[in-house]
Amino acid sequence: MSGASVELWVNGDRVRARVSGGEFLAEFLREGLGLVGTKVGCGVGVCGLCTVWMDGRLVSSCLVPAVVAAGRQVWTVEGLVALAEGRVADPPPGLPPGRLVRVVQRAFVECEGLQCGICTPGQLWAACALLQEEPDPPEERLGEFLAGNLCRCTGYQGILRAVRAASREGRLAGG
Amino acid sequence: MRAVEYLAPEHLGEVLEVLAGADPAETVVWAGGTALGPLLRRGLVVPRTLLGLERVRELAGLSVEEDGSLRIGAAVRLRELYEAELVRLQLPALAGTARRVGNVRVQNVATVGGHLAHADPAQDLPPVLLVLDAEVRLYSRRGARALPLEEFLLGPMQTARAEDELVTEVRVPPHAFRRRTGYVRYTPRSPEDYPTVGVAASVEVDAEGVCREVRVAVGGAGPKALRVRAAEQVLVGGPLSADRCREAARRVEEEVDPWDDARGSAAYKRAMARVWAERLLQQLAAPGP
Amino acid sequence: MGPVGRADGWTKVQGRAVYAADVRLPGMLYGAVVRSPHPHARILRVRSEAARAVPGVWAILTGADVRYGTYGRRVRDMPVLAREVVRFAGERVAAVAAESLPAARQAAALVEVDYEPLPAVLNPQEALQPGAPRVHEVAWQYPGAVVGPDDPSNLQSRGVWQHGEDVEEALARCAYVFDETYEIPPAHQGYLEPHACVAWAKPEGVVEVWASNKSPHRLRAQLAACLGVPAERIRVMPVYVGGDFGGKGSPMDVPVAVALSVATGRPLKLVVEYEEDLTAANPRHGSTVRIRLGVDGEGRMRALDVRAWVNGGAYAAFKPVEHVNLNGFAEAGNTYRIPAVRIESLIAYTHTVPRGHMRSPGSLEANFAVESTVDVAARALGLDPLEFRLRNVLRAGDRGTLGEPWVEMRGEEVLRALAGALEEGEGAAGTRREEEAGWARGVGVALYCRAAHAGETEVALQPRPDGSVVAWVPFPDQGGGQHTVVRNVVCKELGLLPAAVEVQQVDTDELAADSGVGGSRVTLTASAAASRACQQLRRRLEEEGLRGLGVQEAVAELARRRPAERVRGRLSVEEELWLNSVCAQAARVRVDRETGQVRVEELVTVLDVAEILHPPSHRAQVEGGVVMGLGSALLEEVVVEGGRVVSSNLHEYRLPSVADVPTLRLILVPGGKGWGPYGVKPVGEMTNVAVAAAVANAVADAVGIRVRRLPISAEEVYRLLRAQEARP
Repeated sequence: MSGASVELWVNGDRVRARVSGGEFLAEFLREGLGLVGTKVGCGVGVCGLCTVWMDGRLVSSCLVPAVVAAGRQVWTVEGLVALAEGRVADPPPGLPPGRLVRVVQRAFVECEGLQCGICTPGQLWAACALLQEEPDPPEERLGEFLAGNLCRCTGYQGILRAVRAASREGRLAGG
Repeated sequence: MRAVEYLAPEHLGEVLEVLAGADPAETVVWAGGTALGPLLRRGLVVPRTLLGLERVRELAGLSVEEDGSLRIGAAVRLRELYEAELVRLQLPALAGTARRVGNVRVQNVATVGGHLAHADPAQDLPPVLLVLDAEVRLYSRRGARALPLEEFLLGPMQTARAEDELVTEVRVPPHAFRRRTGYVRYTPRSPEDYPTVGVAASVEVDAEGVCREVRVAVGGAGPKALRVRAAEQVLVGGPLSADRCREAARRVEEEVDPWDDARGSAAYKRAMARVWAERLLQQLAAPGP
Repeated sequence: MGPVGRADGWTKVQGRAVYAADVRLPGMLYGAVVRSPHPHARILRVRSEAARAVPGVWAILTGADVRYGTYGRRVRDMPVLAREVVRFAGERVAAVAAESLPAARQAAALVEVDYEPLPAVLNPQEALQPGAPRVHEVAWQYPGAVVGPDDPSNLQSRGVWQHGEDVEEALARCAYVFDETYEIPPAHQGYLEPHACVAWAKPEGVVEVWASNKSPHRLRAQLAACLGVPAERIRVMPVYVGGDFGGKGSPMDVPVAVALSVATGRPLKLVVEYEEDLTAANPRHGSTVRIRLGVDGEGRMRALDVRAWVNGGAYAAFKPVEHVNLNGFAEAGNTYRIPAVRIESLIAYTHTVPRGHMRSPGSLEANFAVESTVDVAARALGLDPLEFRLRNVLRAGDRGTLGEPWVEMRGEEVLRALAGALEEGEGAAGTRREEEAGWARGVGVALYCRAAHAGETEVALQPRPDGSVVAWVPFPDQGGGQHTVVRNVVCKELGLLPAAVEVQQVDTDELAADSGVGGSRVTLTASAAASRACQQLRRRLEEEGLRGLGVQEAVAELARRRPAERVRGRLSVEEELWLNSVCAQAARVRVDRETGQVRVEELVTVLDVAEILHPPSHRAQVEGGVVMGLGSALLEEVVVEGGRVVSSNLHEYRLPSVADVPTLRLILVPGGKGWGPYGVKPVGEMTNVAVAAAVANAVADAVGIRVRRLPISAEEVYRLLRAQEARP
């Protein structure tokens, strides 16, 4: 198969692969690298299922051509969980701290911030990114930030409760 | 399967070289990808080369120029735009509007230049930049030119950009900073929608309450964001009274040329352009912070 | 330690939940589908040379290449790939298998099909006229069809429910008759995971299937019927499902994936783009519902006639119920004492996307129409809408509107609780309220009642040497929390901690038939089956003389003695339970008179409940239901133009985001009679139904106009307000 050769860092590991013309980062991660934690939903950047962290920002990986990801640091939910579990030796700056991720994960479970779970990886990224930037966000900021992550199951109440709980706990833990 | 190569030059000159010799169907300029991405995904655009702008130095950053104008590099992300203290303090309407475009992930990558070059008639920034008298700079290997935004936007997804040209920056002149500027995006269905209509206005009122300068622009109600000079003519030289605002709003209703779509029928958009123009003007007329 | 979360919570927050599209197998190929752009056309020729030239393409199939029969959940009228004729824009015409997803999609785009467009019929009223273009030549010949040669040619089904006096005579005697017609458009279930499947036709003759489908055993049976093979040759493998809401109960593209797997000898993954799901899956039926409500001089309802013309789309295959109609219509008026009731629902074939079930199918349509009319009647009679409902609501001990011998009917309690909640809120809102010029405020209420059913399922418990227990279940958890329900039952009955109970879905070979998730059956059925399994396990422990030990020790010892043993609890309930649940909702809105914009400020939900096995999941279902109801009320419409679905992405089709959700207030009214060993009531399809009527009634309260179509749009309100102003 013809294609471009790209090199990038995924969850801290250097990856070299051939990517084809129509291939986007989301499918490259999933089918090419087997990192299926990142999901594909709407394909137009609205739902947030495909959220990944790329060079310091959350992006919709369904809209990033795989070739555009060359040379970049990409982190997926698998990497986020590795951070939480303390399995990452030297995370690049800008990623949410593992301690925060653990707090967020637990909050989602305890506050029922999920049901079917398909939006959960994207929600985790959004929650972690928000709380990393603003440990104590005002209510309007919560809504504004999370509006880009759809959920069809929960009606958002559990997700909001989870983020508020994570915010409280994150601040109690000092930081 | 065609290979798609991604070029990410660091200098404007390199970009212009590529554009000069390129077939626009084969070589596509790539900024944030939020507009082009879905087209690529659906196979509606099948380029060989993506010409990335994110490293091009000349397109980066915001600054105040010697003449006091605000220069916004075309590659400035929407997020950068609204987080810049300069913009938040001096042009809060611009910052506030950029914050409402898309969602956080869109704002993280979408660029000001890309937003304007996309020229979707329902977008939010064009009406605001129109009332701020913004100007667009275009470069090609043939030279540079500056165009008022009003002349840059031609129609739905159509701009004055020639195939070998690149939008390099947007400038807001210093006199626009003096005015009170506001933008209202009317989204009857959901705050996350594109607006049914978006109305921007910018006014300068003197100590006697007389309107010295005014701009009115509408988005989402025609083939392109439109400055409504007929409305401006009603207002300039007199107080921003309720009657005059109402009259100006009627001119807006007459001038816009919307079509039916999921956000509203043409008739509704026309009526809403009037209602929101009147409301915004009255809001800007009211003394306050 | 905080509250115990759901059974699958940690798996999901670790990104480890595997959904159908996540499955990867060695040598797997990717599929893509070619779809018809025409609502009705003859297929003249399919040319695939250009497509075959795409590197990495392994196979291209058309209807002529596929030997399988048609499929369906009940009526088997859906072809795997269209043969000779296409009946809706979006119908599958060809399918490609290739080495990569981009290659498959690129090849699919290059398949050229020559069509001869044919006249199309697009709405049910026209479709049922004599002489309308026929969607199917002989619809009655499909297995499962409920129509006959003497029925109108485009009839899919006719549902008639009636009870009591003759409704026409009763209407004629009424002092007042309110005759109102409503339009409810199609909507998409909005699951965020698009349809996906992996099929592997293995050389030994077994087909393994991973699919985004919530009823694996039914899927197996449906596939077996379609493929013409015994069910034992099909194994549906467990995966998580990313939301269902009624839309993932059919084979959908699985037979295509199987055909491609057979053609290539490889596993085949077929994941549709969201656009394909939005335009060519199985959205909610669209309906026109006419209500005639007869009321006497004392404000008592005396007669109710409901007529619905329902758009079933090109195939009936996506409706699972035997009568091929929508049970929700039978609920019309079911909360009131009405001595004469007649409901008729005509579902027609049209040349549009085939319709399916969406959370409480038929219920929202019936409820919007009836509850709006109830308000129309109340206002016309000068009665408060809540009072009018209380005057007419069924009371404990009453038989239902269709003669149902309900175990209980808590409509009155729920309405009174709602009234109380509104008074409370009124006080609070009053102090918060600023009078904004141009905004009119209003409150609207609506009432809903739904019958509960059980189904069949089996739960198997396997003790483990560490003293923990695995509960094997045949159904997925598509979000409804049913795995958690099972875990909690097992914990309760065996005295184990949640960490000591693991719930696992198994493939269809492992446990007996199961009716799957849907119809709100699972909580009742699964909890009862789990309870039986626990009883069996306790019996085994006793038989082995382990009763004296602590439970974990005993379980561990049993596991050591009998390593492979599983105990089973089976349940199969076919009889009517005559159990129901009632929900009353109120919407507080403000309406901008100049623009027609409607803002819902608060949605109050009062729900009649019994025992709740896992309160957080229950609450999540309630809240999720309310928000889904808001979507139908204010945001969502599958727009069909010229027979084609044009709402083709999530910019156009607006699912509620967090920014769209107002203040939600939830009041649970305990004390209801549930069913089964735990006395539970279902909740999954309760709180999404009455929202639309509550909002429409609130708008009427605020500005005195009646919106008769959904979603309630600012433009429609604006139009009605201007018309109201123009009236003398």
